[in-house]
Amino acid sequence: QSTIKWRMQTYAGPALAEHVIDPAIKMFNTIAGDRMQIELFYADQLVPTGELFRAMQRGTIDAVQSDDDSMASPTEVTVFGGYFPFASRYSLDVPVLFNQYGLNEIWDEEYSKVGVKHISAGSWDPCHFATKDPIRSLKDLEGKRVFTFPTAGRFLAQFGVVPVTLPWEDIEVAVQTGELDGIAWSGITEDYTVGWADVTNYFLTNNISGAWAGSFFANMDRWNELPEDLQTLFRVCCDQSHYYRQWWYWGGEASLRVDGTKMELTTIPDAEWQTVEDAAVKFWDEIAAESETKARVVEIFRKYNSDMAKAGRPYRYG
Amino acid sequence: MSYEMIAILMFSTMMLMLFTGQRVFGAIGFVGVISAVLLWGPGGSDIGFSAAMKLMKWYPLLTLPMFIFMGYVLSESKIADDLYKMFHVWMGPVRGGLAIGTILLMVLISAMNGLSVAGMAIGATIALPELLKRGYDKQMVTGVIQAGSSLGILVPPSVVLVLYAMIARQPVGQLWLAGVFPGLMMAAMFIAYVVIRCRIQPELGPVLPPEDRDIPRAEKLRLLRAGVLPLVIFAVMMVPFINGWTSLVESSAVGALAAFLAAVLKGRMTREVFENSVRNTLGISCMFMWIILAALGFGAVFDGLGAVRAIESLFTDQLGLSPWMILILMQLSFIVMGTFLDDTAMLVIVAPLYVPLVDALGFDLIWYGVLYTITTQIAYMTPPFGYNLFLMRAMAPAEIGLRDIYRSIVPFVMVMIVALTIVMAFPQIALWLPEYVYGK
Amino acid sequence: MTALMGAYVRGVDGFNRRIGRFVMYGIFVMMAILLWSSISKTFFNPSMWTLEMAQFAMVAYYILGGPYSIQLGANVRMDLFYGDWSVEKKAWVDAFTVFFLLFYLVILFHGAIVSTAYGLGYFGDAPYGYFGGLIWAFVTGGPDAAGEVLGHMERSPTAWRPYLWPIKIIMIFGFFLMLLQAISELLKDIATLRGVTL
Ligand code: NA
Ligand code: NA
Repeated sequence: QSTIKWRMQTYAGPALAEHVIDPAIKMFNTIAGDRMQIELFYADQLVPTGELFRAMQRGTIDAVQSDDDSMASPTEVTVFGGYFPFASRYSLDVPVLFNQYGLNEIWDEEYSKVGVKHISAGSWDPCHFATKDPIRSLKDLEGKRVFTFPTAGRFLAQFGVVPVTLPWEDIEVAVQTGELDGIAWSGITEDYTVGWADVTNYFLTNNISGAWAGSFFANMDRWNELPEDLQTLFRVCCDQSHYYRQWWYWGGEASLRVDGTKMELTTIPDAEWQTVEDAAVKFWDEIAAESETKARVVEIFRKYNSDMAKAGRPYRYG
Repeated sequence: MSYEMIAILMFSTMMLMLFTGQRVFGAIGFVGVISAVLLWGPGGSDIGFSAAMKLMKWYPLLTLPMFIFMGYVLSESKIADDLYKMFHVWMGPVRGGLAIGTILLMVLISAMNGLSVAGMAIGATIALPELLKRGYDKQMVTGVIQAGSSLGILVPPSVVLVLYAMIARQPVGQLWLAGVFPGLMMAAMFIAYVVIRCRIQPELGPVLPPEDRDIPRAEKLRLLRAGVLPLVIFAVMMVPFINGWTSLVESSAVGALAAFLAAVLKGRMTREVFENSVRNTLGISCMFMWIILAALGFGAVFDGLGAVRAIESLFTDQLGLSPWMILILMQLSFIVMGTFLDDTAMLVIVAPLYVPLVDALGFDLIWYGVLYTITTQIAYMTPPFGYNLFLMRAMAPAEIGLRDIYRSIVPFVMVMIVALTIVMAFPQIALWLPEYVYGK
Repeated sequence: MTALMGAYVRGVDGFNRRIGRFVMYGIFVMMAILLWSSISKTFFNPSMWTLEMAQFAMVAYYILGGPYSIQLGANVRMDLFYGDWSVEKKAWVDAFTVFFLLFYLVILFHGAIVSTAYGLGYFGDAPYGYFGGLIWAFVTGGPDAAGEVLGHMERSPTAWRPYLWPIKIIMIFGFFLMLLQAISELLKDIATLRGVTL
């Protein structure tokens, strides 16, 4: 019996992948041994990130780790992948939304329609600004060319931010060549890990979303061909990957804010930042009006956030 | 078949295809897509097109047509004529002086341009006929122009260093600064070579006859003003970039516009010059872009086979070589490959293999960028494959034969290898300036 | 036969030449977009579309300009041996190796077709049938009927979110012209071998 071989591409570059995906794939390969091996490719290596979905659907690659937004998935849930403005506060919100509030079912429905298997969703870090010049008020956002997620960019455009999307690997150089003034793509852990902290000077502690939401996907036929135990193993390794990120980011965010030396922290006062949070509520309405599926997801976000507020501390303060 | 075998097969098939003389992009592209289809079935057939999307998103490539256009405007409109005259008059009295003046001219042109095309065009069309008329040795001066114009990719701005920066994820500003002193050093070494050669064999570079030298002092001083133009163009392009007012690709557009306006203001932008610049820019840009398109497709498959990992483990685990030995081997293999592989293809296929390895070995990637560029310069002018060779043949007067061109580069390649060795041994030549400016 | 070949070569070369001479001014389009980008950044709010628009212009420039660049002889060959061959020998070898080039171009063309069909919302495995149906619907039922055939329209994953099908259609067109040009080169080589001028 010959070894099953999968090609998997992540949207993360090698430096980040070392933490967020390499360990899980290594674990999978060690356990599966001669039965199955996954070859992992990094951001834009085989195909550009914007083409990831199509490449998986066509079988150029077999599996993908990405958020729905970055890989431009042709589904109704695309805008919610990555950072949907203020949908979550903590990284644990994401798995709860998927496992207990019904997002898993919606995602499964949507991806089945387009011939792709949605395997498992997990969360990453919160979304903060890392910039060359300090941001101390909303006015400082005006005219800043910022690398960010497509949907987050649409949202931020109303504050004068000019969203720019470039290949992930090119971001560090793009900041240096002046194509970008900053990055709104991650928390501080990632800024340090991938080298963005070396090319920017300031970190804004206000975030536009509490946690990234992204998933593992596979070509439907390739997935169905796998024996059940390998499917299970794959799921277990996905969960392992989610778990690793939970503590790696959570701990990293705090320790780098306290001990990091490369970036100066700035803050926009809560009262002023409230403008942004209020704008998000309006933005949710706009998105909900776009389709029935989107309305369903937005409704779930509303319900979840109101539940959390009612639950009080430690779920929500104030 | 193991992946390593497939990778070797791909590489050798590509070489074979190249030797048939089919257009380079066709040869590389064919091997890339057929391998993808054979390996990965119908899904693999998308890799070729996927590369087109990748190319589209690779924003620094926008600088390519801009710098090419700039180069053509500078050479076609002959606004560099005055510059040449300046060096001609001032350096003429020295033995081999016109050749030295030509090298200095090339340094100035390099500072205005990111490729070697402009220097080559100006050198071959303006300087070369003059030098031949004055009885300079044709092989020496052909070599001078090729070697001098290759400085275009080492002295900032440099397109090759931009592409390297993208692959190695290193700051372009620092890379450009790192190229300054090695570039000047190499120019000085070329000059030293000419001086020594002409001392031993004065007939290679005769002194200008007195009637040519007898120019009023006021006129000589007036000619110095020609040197202002390149400085202005360089400043218009680089000052806003260094200050962060314009981005890299915007700066290249500013530079192209500045060259264009300079030609218009000097009354040199005739209908013919305009036509030639615009048409040749399309031709050369297409040549580069189609090769990059093909090479990106090839590279994706090559990468997909794990060729990088295979080479890495071969060097470090199996052969057990020390980092320096590996580095030297890599440079040697680069020079060898550069002699028969197209330079753009080399950048897109080989650099992604080597750069991670250099990083893993613990070397400075800024410094390596300079080594890499010097090696590319050598590749640019070593037969059978080199853009400078092609350009030279296309642009030089009829009396310069292919053999002259091939022979002419030998001493200069030697000088460049010495320069490469010096920069390898003394990294501070490259690193001092960026460290000083950026206070690393 | 020779007359037919001559007509093809003249037709294709003439058309590609005109296209090429039109897109060669694209250098000024790219320049204008990039200059606008720096002007708007300095004096107003930077524009969201400039970099991507410049990238689209660049793609149209080099893909549509490709056939003309072949006519100009701008595409380099490795001529270690090739350079020394006689005109006939070059024609012989080219007439054979041009099929490798053709194969590459067919794959690019096919990839562009597949990707454009996807861009218009078709996810299946029969993109040519899809385009046939699309054109048929347009011919028989007008724009509305054609609109029915369209699915989820692919947009660039950026905040500007331009539709991608226009640039992809330009790419299809460009690869197709490139194919025609390569065939024209083949015919010219055959003519050389038969000692006729087209
Ligand atoms: Na230069
Ligand atoms: Na060479």
